[in-house]
Amino acid sequence: MKVVVLLSAGRHPVSGLGALPRLEAQAIRLGAALGPMRGLHAGPDAEAVAEALGRGLSEIDHVALGAGADPVPALAAALRAAAPDVVLAGRRGQGGDETGLVPYALARALGATLIPDVIAARPGSEPGVIEVEQALPKGAARRLVVRSPVVLTVHSAAPEPRPYAFGQVRRGRIEPLAVSAPEEPAAVAIAEKPYRARPKMMRGAPAGGSAADRLKAATGGGEAVQADVMVSPEPREAARAILAYLRQVGVLPPPARAG
Amino acid sequence: MTYALPALVFVMVALATVQTLRRAAWWRLGAAAPVAWGAGLLALPKRYLVDVHHVVARDAYASRMHAVVAGGLLAATLLAALAALPPLGGSRIYWAAVALAFGVTAAGAVLVGARRYPKRPKRLSGGGFQILPVLLLAYAFGGLAAALLLAFGVASAPALVAAVALAAGGGLGLAYEVRSGPMRHAVAGALHLIAHPRPRRFDGGAPDAALVALDLDAPRLGVETPADLAWNRLLSFDACIQCGRCESACPAFAAGQPLNPKRLIQDLVAAATADERAYAGSPYPNARDVAAPTEPLFRVIGEGARIHPDTLWSCTTCRACVEECPMMIEHVDAIVSLRRHQTLELGAVPAKAAATLDNLRAAEELGGRPLAARVDFAAGAPLPVIGEREVDVLLWLGEGAYDLRYGRTLRALVKLLNMAKVDFAVLGAEERDTGDLARRLGDEATYQTLARANVATLARHRFKRIVTSDPHALHALRNEYRAFGATYEVVHHTAFLLELVEQGRLAPGALGGASVTYHDPCYLGRYNGETEAPRKLLDRLGLDRVEMARHGRRSMCCGGGGGAPVSDIPGDARIPDLRMAQAAETGAGIVAVACPTCTAMLEGVTGRTAEVKDIAELLLASVEAGR
Amino acid sequence: MTRARRDPRSERAAAARPGLTRPRFELFARESGRRPRRNPRSETLAQQVEGPSRLRLDRAQTGRAAAALAPERAEPAAAPAPTTIVVEAPAFLVAVVPDLAGGRLSLHDRQLFDAARTLAGADGGVIALVGTEGAEFGPAGADRTARVAAPEGYDPDARAAAIAAAMAALDLRHVIFPETPDGGDLARRVAVLAGEPLFADVEMVAAATLMRPARGRRVEQRAAPARLITLAADAVAPYAGAPREARDEPLDTFAAPASAILSAERIPADPARTPLGLADFVVSAGAGVTDFDAFRATAAALGGTPGASRVLCDAGLMPREAQVGASGTVLSATCYLALGIAGAPQHLQGIAGCDHVVAVNTDLHAAMVERAGLAIVQDAQAVMPALIAELAREREASA
Ligand SMILES: Cc1cc2nc3c(=O)[nH]c(=O)nc-3n(C[C@H](O)[C@H](O)[C@H](O)COP(=O)(O)OP(=O)(O)OC[C@H]3O[C@@H](n4cnc5c(N)ncnc54)[C@H](O)[C@@H]3O)c2cc1C
Ligand code: SF4
Ligand code: SF4
Repeated sequence: MKVVVLLSAGRHPVSGLGALPRLEAQAIRLGAALGPMRGLHAGPDAEAVAEALGRGLSEIDHVALGAGADPVPALAAALRAAAPDVVLAGRRGQGGDETGLVPYALARALGATLIPDVIAARPGSEPGVIEVEQALPKGAARRLVVRSPVVLTVHSAAPEPRPYAFGQVRRGRIEPLAVSAPEEPAAVAIAEKPYRARPKMMRGAPAGGSAADRLKAATGGGEAVQADVMVSPEPREAARAILAYLRQVGVLPPPARAG
Repeated sequence: MTYALPALVFVMVALATVQTLRRAAWWRLGAAAPVAWGAGLLALPKRYLVDVHHVVARDAYASRMHAVVAGGLLAATLLAALAALPPLGGSRIYWAAVALAFGVTAAGAVLVGARRYPKRPKRLSGGGFQILPVLLLAYAFGGLAAALLLAFGVASAPALVAAVALAAGGGLGLAYEVRSGPMRHAVAGALHLIAHPRPRRFDGGAPDAALVALDLDAPRLGVETPADLAWNRLLSFDACIQCGRCESACPAFAAGQPLNPKRLIQDLVAAATADERAYAGSPYPNARDVAAPTEPLFRVIGEGARIHPDTLWSCTTCRACVEECPMMIEHVDAIVSLRRHQTLELGAVPAKAAATLDNLRAAEELGGRPLAARVDFAAGAPLPVIGEREVDVLLWLGEGAYDLRYGRTLRALVKLLNMAKVDFAVLGAEERDTGDLARRLGDEATYQTLARANVATLARHRFKRIVTSDPHALHALRNEYRAFGATYEVVHHTAFLLELVEQGRLAPGALGGASVTYHDPCYLGRYNGETEAPRKLLDRLGLDRVEMARHGRRSMCCGGGGGAPVSDIPGDARIPDLRMAQAAETGAGIVAVACPTCTAMLEGVTGRTAEVKDIAELLLASVEAGR
Repeated sequence: MTRARRDPRSERAAAARPGLTRPRFELFARESGRRPRRNPRSETLAQQVEGPSRLRLDRAQTGRAAAALAPERAEPAAAPAPTTIVVEAPAFLVAVVPDLAGGRLSLHDRQLFDAARTLAGADGGVIALVGTEGAEFGPAGADRTARVAAPEGYDPDARAAAIAAAMAALDLRHVIFPETPDGGDLARRVAVLAGEPLFADVEMVAAATLMRPARGRRVEQRAAPARLITLAADAVAPYAGAPREARDEPLDTFAAPASAILSAERIPADPARTPLGLADFVVSAGAGVTDFDAFRATAAALGGTPGASRVLCDAGLMPREAQVGASGTVLSATCYLALGIAGAPQHLQGIAGCDHVVAVNTDLHAAMVERAGLAIVQDAQAVMPALIAELAREREASA
């Protein structure tokens, strides 16, 4: 199976420094088990994805694009030429617009089936078929058998990425790739300003706030604003209170109704 | 017949030389290394008599034993050789002197034997080492008998032949053992003292503990096979006498983690040698299975190699082994260079450590937290951030600032600085991690990136000196950033606070009789030789200070260094639990600490009876009590 | 079952005597380590909803965990039955596509309706595009419902095609999806299929502008509402107005294209085997637990993934993979039940992301008790069998 991993010029969510998005590093690990694999990046600077070489990828194709250009036409053209069976990608870019549309647009352009949130993939029992496992909320999963070509987006519950090895970056190769695709500017420019956190409707720690807020948020502690404390209750009473609480927060199904 | 003994000595020396040359072929497999031969040779007597004996003397029996047996052996052998000079060979007084020297050797040999028989202490290796007293006894008594016969002029040829034969058996045995037996330590040890890779450690100043920078453009990063080690490192391993002092000092060994520094050194020797004798000392505790290939110079680390990765990652880089080693072997250098290859070339780091390294690389902070949040510990209290103006003191906050518990210590320190009207400031969001952890985990690339960035930041600001409460940061800033051309005056907060107290800028009151024991952080005590300031400061607080059995430069690690908490290799016990038990033996109600990592490790011990307090917190309490 | 459920929290709230001089608390002032008492005035203030000039209260914004978290309670059930609002001829339609996981509207689903309401304004109508029929949609805020044929099994492309078809047939002005694994996936499929722009992960909704974060939450982007929208969780309150009629809007049936997905098989979560980091509900033991059979039985009966503090893992009483905390697993669970765990800082770091914590501990002053939303100061060895017995009793009662 021929595999291509899409690489984006990601940024660390906290520091804003360039970093390979974790999901893409996990994608490399998933892809390594499927067959020969290359990376593909479209953007102004190939160095932005060099980290992938330290994560188990040895070759990356780089399509040079102007800053701010829409990468989809270039990627689609490159993928059409390479005709991989499997394209792996993160579910969303990180540090850019983060709309998560690119894999979908590419799947459409390639006529491939997109399977989101993949945690495992292996070649199927017959040629042209791939078996994937998809993460569902709360620890459930779905096992799918899909005809290739497929575009798989990776879920964070996929196996941990391979640790970064600086030395392997030196040995990896990034090769320029010329494609003929119209270079279009990304969709209409959108007004941007610095993010200001708004109070969430509920739960979740404040992202901004004072230093003391963040200190408190670091260990949780948000909830105990008005907590229930039952001192030396009867065990049975305690059990009832716990069950009621667990049902309230939705982790325990309500008792089966009589009938 | 008077030529028999000198002849024996010449044969012995010849044999030993051949054996040494055979061994030297192995050392030459190692990489080239610059060695100042002349200076080393000149310094040899001092290095041996002062530095080596300073360590040997910690074990009184061994020290006496070694002085007698080694001194006797050298003297007797040299004297016996002189018999080749005609006038001496005929002198009975001369032979009496030779007999005396052999007698001393014999006494020493008896001491050696008594230590190993009937029961050998656990830390000593058996196997080939057990014949050492036998050979020594044979050589000493043979030589003694021969010299006595000659001294008394007893012309019994059969007796003399028997005596010389006995001496020859022992002596030639000893000489033969120079290649791969117990006597190797003598020759390799002397050469090692001359060609030591860290000659500065003998200069008598602060310990020379800074790791050597790695050339990131080198074709191969770190040590994969023994041949990647410098030749004088291979030589240094041959100096090991398998005394096991490192093993008894090693916290990971004590906690039942699969690390034994002595065994590690021997594994490195065996990995370079085809026919090394089987190791007969204590194993790695809970040793992991490895499938060691038999060919030499294979890669050293791996499940299919000689040393299991868990062994490598158990080390806390505490340098206790280095401190205790009478042969001046540098275990930590070896461990870090092996780690460098694992991390940089193979990406084979433990999972948690990998996540930490990712954070350091992408967020310049090991928890991936915002750099601006480092000052959150102040919880609203004003904390001056450095600007254009030159300040007296730049306060380096370090990783501890993100820790809830340690915030208390830093708040106390800041309060004390304010009380003493110290002109200080912090870097605020410009402070990055020093890269210490990355470096100990072998990630030299990330370390160098962080170090360069910090050096550039510091160059933009004006300050007289740096004060930090984190000995790891102190070590990096003071000693390891030198490689980037940066020299700062870096002061640990305990030394700085002592200074303030001595200048009368802080007036501690008496804390009233509570008993306290001080836990030396490895990176302050052993790495920087600073053990006095914290004690002097504690003594000013009216506390009853008691010492743990292991303290000062011989203190035991809290288990928090070298990335051990993130590698988290399981053992039988946890290192901080062992250390807190040692503290409990003193009966002290307070364990005084001086490092954020020690604080976290020792506070995390369950069921502890003593309180864990940083010296800054104790000082603040006492200053407040004194008002 | 008609047994009135005791709610100690509301009992206590009811017993509170307002009007006394007491310190005022900022509602979200988390820095106070104490537990502030309720301040009804500031609560009401905080419940005010931005937007229309008329005073609107969002009763979910109590700042009190328990009331806010219970979707059932967020419904205006206690109010006198209001009259149904009917929009006879909406000028345009704004659609919502709820996930309907398990056939029910989740809290997030309900929030879509409020966002849709904002975009529909006075003239528009809100239509729910759903695969099933349900009486819930009217009270949730739907003026119309339309059934989009849901193909059997897992075929998201067919669903997307059906929604794209409905979008064209009903001339929908906006379609709002929840930014969830399923909803987000569907929205993107529809976007590339219909060639329409998508404004994803919206965190603020006003009639004329939407706001979404981008570049790792360092900037926010604002734009006039796009045709396709995904809404982040908890960005807006659920629709809280009077029920609407949810009139059925007929749609032509739609022939699904052939799918490349040859088979799909759902593997239900096995809490006992779910990796801790993924588990939704973790039942965890600390040094205060001595009866491990009871512990395992309790975790199994509650359907929680077992965890432990480091002490137990070090002692070999629980497997190492079960360790919760800084040097173990950092959880992302909704709820954490801590049995006999003191709450050392390293342990609490591992549960910082848990929304709800229940602590059972003999020590009232344990840090875990402080962290918990419900704390039981009692011997874990007594509480565990009581939990099992209570669950068994419930089962019997329903049999
Ligand atoms: C570097 C480092 C990393 C660490 N990482 C972690 C980590 O990842 N995870 C972790 O858990 N710990 C970690 N620790 C250890 C941590 O500091 C604590 O030691 C540990 O969490 C304590 O576990 P515990 O609460 O179960 O035990 P204890 O501290 O002994 O607490 C037991 C609790 O149970 C209560 N109790 C006793 N009997 C009963 C009973 N019959 N019924 C109900 N309650 C009872 C007690 O009141 C007490 O609160 C770390 C420590 C260090 C130094
Ligand atoms: S390394 Fe040093 S301390 Fe350890 S056994 Fe060898 S000589 Fe002794
Ligand atoms: S540095 Fe410390 S932990 Fe590492 S081998 Fe030496 S004594 Fe053991």
